[in-house]
Amino acid sequence: MRLPAFDYIEPKTLKEAAKRLASNKGAVLLAGGTDLLVNMKHRVIMPKQIIHLKALPKLQYITSGKEGLKIGALTTLHEIATSPMLKERWNIIAQAAQEVGAYAHQSMGTLGGNLCQENRCRFFNQSPFWRGVRPPCLKAGGKVCYVVPKGNKCYSTYCGDMAPALIALGAQIKIEGMEGERSLPLKKLYTHNGKKPLALKKGEILKEVFVPPASGKALYLKWRVRESLEFPIVSLALYVEKDQKDQIKKARIVFSGVGSGPVEATLAERIWKAGPLNEQTIEKVAEQAVKEISPMRTSIHSPAYKRKMAGILLKEALKQIYS
Amino acid sequence: MSLFNVIGKREPMLDALEKATGRAKFTDDLTFPGMLFGKILRSPHPHAKILHVDLSKALKVKGVHGAICGRDIPKKKYGIVPMAKDEYALAIDKVRYIGDEVAAVVATSIEVAEEAISKIHVDYEVLPAVFDPLEAMKPGAPVIHDEVPNNVSAKIRKEFGDVEKAFFESDEIFEDDFETQPVNHAPLEPHAAIGLADHSGKVILYSSTQIPFFLRRNLATALDIPESRVRIIKPKVGGGFGQKIDLYAKDFCAAFFALKTKKPVKFVYEREEIFTSTRQRHPFKIHLKTGMKRDGTIHVQQFKAIADGGAYNSTAPLMITLACYFIMLPYRIENLLFEGCHVYTNKPVGGAMRGHGIPQVRFAVEAQLDLIAEKMGIDPFELRLKNAFHAGEPHPAKLLVQSCGFSDTLIKAAEAIGWKEKRGKLPFGRGIGLAGASFPSGVSNMSHISSGAVVKIERDASITLLTGAADIGQGAETVISQIVAEEMGVPLEDIRITAADTEITPLDPGTFGSGVTLRAGNAAKMAAQSAKEKLLEAVAEKLEVEIHQLEVKDRRIYVKDQPEKGMSFSEAIKVYQYSDRPMPIIGRGSYMPPAKEPTTLLKEDGNFSPAYSFMTQAAEVEVDTTTGKVKVLKMVAAHDCGRAINPMLVEGQLDGSVVGGMGQALYEDVLIEKGQVINPSFLDYGLPTAMEIPSITSIEVETDDPEGPFGAKESGEGTQLAPAPAIINAIYDAIGVRFKSLPVTPEKVLEALQEKKGKTY
Amino acid sequence: MKHILKLNVNGEDHEVLTDIHKTLLEVLREDLGLTGTKKGCDLGTCGACTVLIEGKPYLSCLTLAVAVQEKRILTIEGLAKDGDLHPLQKAFAEKGAIQCGFCTPGMILIAKAFLDEHPSPSEGEVKKAVAGNLCRCTGYAKIVEAILSVTEKI
Ligand SMILES: Cc1cc2nc3c(=O)[nH]c(=O)nc-3n(C[C@H](O)[C@H](O)[C@H](O)COP(=O)(O)OP(=O)(O)OC[C@H]3O[C@@H](n4cnc5c(N)ncnc54)[C@H](O)[C@@H]3O)c2cc1C
Ligand code: FES
Ligand code: FES
Repeated sequence: MRLPAFDYIEPKTLKEAAKRLASNKGAVLLAGGTDLLVNMKHRVIMPKQIIHLKALPKLQYITSGKEGLKIGALTTLHEIATSPMLKERWNIIAQAAQEVGAYAHQSMGTLGGNLCQENRCRFFNQSPFWRGVRPPCLKAGGKVCYVVPKGNKCYSTYCGDMAPALIALGAQIKIEGMEGERSLPLKKLYTHNGKKPLALKKGEILKEVFVPPASGKALYLKWRVRESLEFPIVSLALYVEKDQKDQIKKARIVFSGVGSGPVEATLAERIWKAGPLNEQTIEKVAEQAVKEISPMRTSIHSPAYKRKMAGILLKEALKQIYS
Repeated sequence: MSLFNVIGKREPMLDALEKATGRAKFTDDLTFPGMLFGKILRSPHPHAKILHVDLSKALKVKGVHGAICGRDIPKKKYGIVPMAKDEYALAIDKVRYIGDEVAAVVATSIEVAEEAISKIHVDYEVLPAVFDPLEAMKPGAPVIHDEVPNNVSAKIRKEFGDVEKAFFESDEIFEDDFETQPVNHAPLEPHAAIGLADHSGKVILYSSTQIPFFLRRNLATALDIPESRVRIIKPKVGGGFGQKIDLYAKDFCAAFFALKTKKPVKFVYEREEIFTSTRQRHPFKIHLKTGMKRDGTIHVQQFKAIADGGAYNSTAPLMITLACYFIMLPYRIENLLFEGCHVYTNKPVGGAMRGHGIPQVRFAVEAQLDLIAEKMGIDPFELRLKNAFHAGEPHPAKLLVQSCGFSDTLIKAAEAIGWKEKRGKLPFGRGIGLAGASFPSGVSNMSHISSGAVVKIERDASITLLTGAADIGQGAETVISQIVAEEMGVPLEDIRITAADTEITPLDPGTFGSGVTLRAGNAAKMAAQSAKEKLLEAVAEKLEVEIHQLEVKDRRIYVKDQPEKGMSFSEAIKVYQYSDRPMPIIGRGSYMPPAKEPTTLLKEDGNFSPAYSFMTQAAEVEVDTTTGKVKVLKMVAAHDCGRAINPMLVEGQLDGSVVGGMGQALYEDVLIEKGQVINPSFLDYGLPTAMEIPSITSIEVETDDPEGPFGAKESGEGTQLAPAPAIINAIYDAIGVRFKSLPVTPEKVLEALQEKKGKTY
Repeated sequence: MKHILKLNVNGEDHEVLTDIHKTLLEVLREDLGLTGTKKGCDLGTCGACTVLIEGKPYLSCLTLAVAVQEKRILTIEGLAKDGDLHPLQKAFAEKGAIQCGFCTPGMILIAKAFLDEHPSPSEGEVKKAVAGNLCRCTGYAKIVEAILSVTEKI
């Protein structure tokens, strides 16, 4: 499958990149290209211009200090997956990166690209021939959603691996734009609007992920049929932090693959926090969490199955995180 | 000490280094000056009448050199089985599935061809479609081919013994329904073809085919030109597994446009086209009724099998026949009735795939045998052993089995998997299972399924072998060269081989039905023998001995009981030349598998294969009872492939088959909704990755088949019959759930486990 | 639009006049005639097109040629040094890890990238490293064996 034609530029600075991105309506950013190029080959994204970020060397770093952890947006997933420092102190991040696609995807794919990847849907991630069987769907510029034909909303699903792990850790992001830099909780990057899943404004570029110091325990579990290549059917990240009196201070449960953005199950977190944790409460936490997610028929797996697995995964994770 | 010098050696494939260095050329790797690129327009409807195709806008695109649709091509139907031709290279009257070929374009680049395709306008009248074979068989269902009003395009009914009486005599009767899924062959190399034509109207086609000579015949028919005007050359082929048996639109269009434009024309399929528009393993619905004697004898079996064929026949009649014939082994069954049919639906087309119709029924039989064993309180291993067929026994359907290591494979597989220690004794979630199978080594007594070979001894004593056999990655060229080297008494490196070019190499039916080693191997052996004899005549004369006193080994010809009396191969050539004999020395072989009991596969009873391979596969699995995921920990493949000409390549076939069979058991499924494949990519189609593989132990049970070259039979397809049922049987041992439909996904396991516990989430 | 791309492939500099929207896979195969790099899916799902860029595995079907100018690109054709086969190439051939050979170039290259990073991996690590490279013929067993056999030699 050939790529559609486009212009190509390599900005020298982030500022320049932001400016180009803002000034050209048809421009898109390219990082590792493992998500973007597939969508372009499928003709669901047809940019006029490609702004390649990889030439910006300053965005590729992992540093950690007292104030927390910083990862540049262009850091590759492989660097994250194999960083000894991350493995030792922020293992959940390394672990999530290890779960993305396979080796080559990790060596090409970047953190920024992973967080900003397009939502997915079985009616969207298909070739023009495949989609040609019916009029275009909402996300591909048409008028109908084939997942929920009666609604006028796009239900495409967020399937990234990194976002849940980072959100569970309370990550913030730095965004560079025409008006300078701004920070945002990573969670707020996601609009949960399938048609436009990211809260980036015109010309904005994700620059850095910042994770505040985290003394608690974290865990990432991904469910898929084969142990490689596949996106999560459903995945989840857990984070729990206790105070000196062994009271839960922070409890986070974040899912991927079950909504139009990463889904934090805040009500379930409350039940968890209220503790104490035993068979019964674990069951309750899971029951509640499963109510907070909204899987749709956007992949080859049924929503009912995703829900079932989300519950099972969460119970497993809760057991594991305490053992 | 081994009897042989080259046979039985773990020789690397002759072209392995070419492949390891990137030099090996597959069809898409070839380019020719001025080459055009083609694309095919496919139907977006599962069933529709073509009212009009407007090519005019496509033809106006700059760089386009031609555009055609059904009305532009000869009205000649083709099909791989002559009696079941039902397909045009481009649809003429109507389209019958999503992905059916409607029009084709060639242009100076792929981009231009893609653009032109998008400018073709087709008026369709959409027709009601039918997707379920049972629905398709009902009166009033949409008719997919006018000539077949009930959509049942092939049928077989075969009975031997007295089935009714046998059921009456049976002590216990078991009845079960089984279902299998569509599976894509998924060769890694996408299908490709390049056509070249000259001004005399002759076309050369480079094609990723596994049957060059049949392709020549089919292509000539479809183009409506004499066979002599078509030359097929098979470059390296990146796997086939049966999918590269059929003629495809890419072959036809490359040749057609080459003839029309006099330019080289290349067509390459996208991965998606391979999923939607080539071939897949037929999904089956099987009703199986078995009557048992109290002592564990399988007394009678009755099958009703419905194969969902999709929109066209491809191998339909052959497939359904094989499905029937191959349940007649490896067990002795005195009474059997098989009723099978192939039904059209508006879906992707079924075709030959590794095992060809048999894995589906094998799954049913082997799964049911375990069920029977349990209900009758017999050990499943013992049950199989008791009913195992043996060489030389009279077969109820008159099959002639001259070598049979089935019992041995059973015993060895059971031992290697730890049957006695583990079966029924592992903790919940862990289990073992086994299954048996048999497969023909090609079919007998069909003149068009013959092989030829030519062996030339050159002046420098090197040996040139010409064979029509089609190596598609299994190593046929290596194995046949080994056979020739052995026969000639020279090391493998002395053999130069040219294969699979219909203009240069002798006839060969190609790679299917697991007949290559036996058929092409025998032809090559004959050719080598005949060349050798010519040389030996001269040597015998010189040494003043009789030919039969001579032996050839390690590039030397010598007198058997006086090894010092002899000469090197190159001296022998000189002797030959000085004795004024004509050069070059050429030996020829033409081989058709004989039929001791005359029969033709589709018509009469009797023996239809020169030899039969036998195997048992055993599996150990672990089921994660929380998530339902099944992990195959270990597979044992015990296989009687006759003599292994090259054990390393046999192991390779076993490994590949085992993992393919595991894919079929647990991961792979072409999902189709309203005629549309919804997972036409490796992301969603569960081809096993390296993470899924079990440890594999292969055990070769060597028998020496009298018909096979140096005793060899087959190892390509038979090995893919039993892994799936072995795994399913192991799952039963692990969690006590009996699955009757494939694949057994984590979702199904979880559901079953929860049902078992009476608990829902 | 056509541009001149400067590519360093297998240690040699090339200037290629080609479309800017071509993937590295297309440029290697079509413009440079380096057909050892295979196209199995063209969508990043099979690994047949794997090449090494600065020693790291890249799926060339998802890489823009224009974006890897001036980088060191290694394809299967450049792996043997002065006619000496790489140990992986030998091991793949000798251990029967090659059947049809279509997955082989990508498989060997990803294995090389991996072994360069992890000279003595476990079997599980090897499997994980090649898991994105699909093979339909071998069932991976002999591929894993071949890769492991090379680690012992290093
Ligand atoms: C076979 C296959 C399997 C995969 N499996 C997984 C998986 O299991 N899990 C998973 O999470 N992903 C998976 N992916 C998707 C993809 O590989 C990863 O998400 C990868 O991390 C994307 O990163 P990239 O740098 O390649 O992104 P790109 O493709 O370069 O970019 C992705 C999107 O993000 C935008 N973008 C990139 N960088 C920035 C930035 N700094 N600021 C703002 N926008 C930006 C781009 O414009 C584009 O829209 C898979 C892909 C394939 C082909
Ligand atoms: S061709 Fe690039 S991954 Fe398949
Ligand atoms: S050897 Fe054929 S795909 Fe790997």
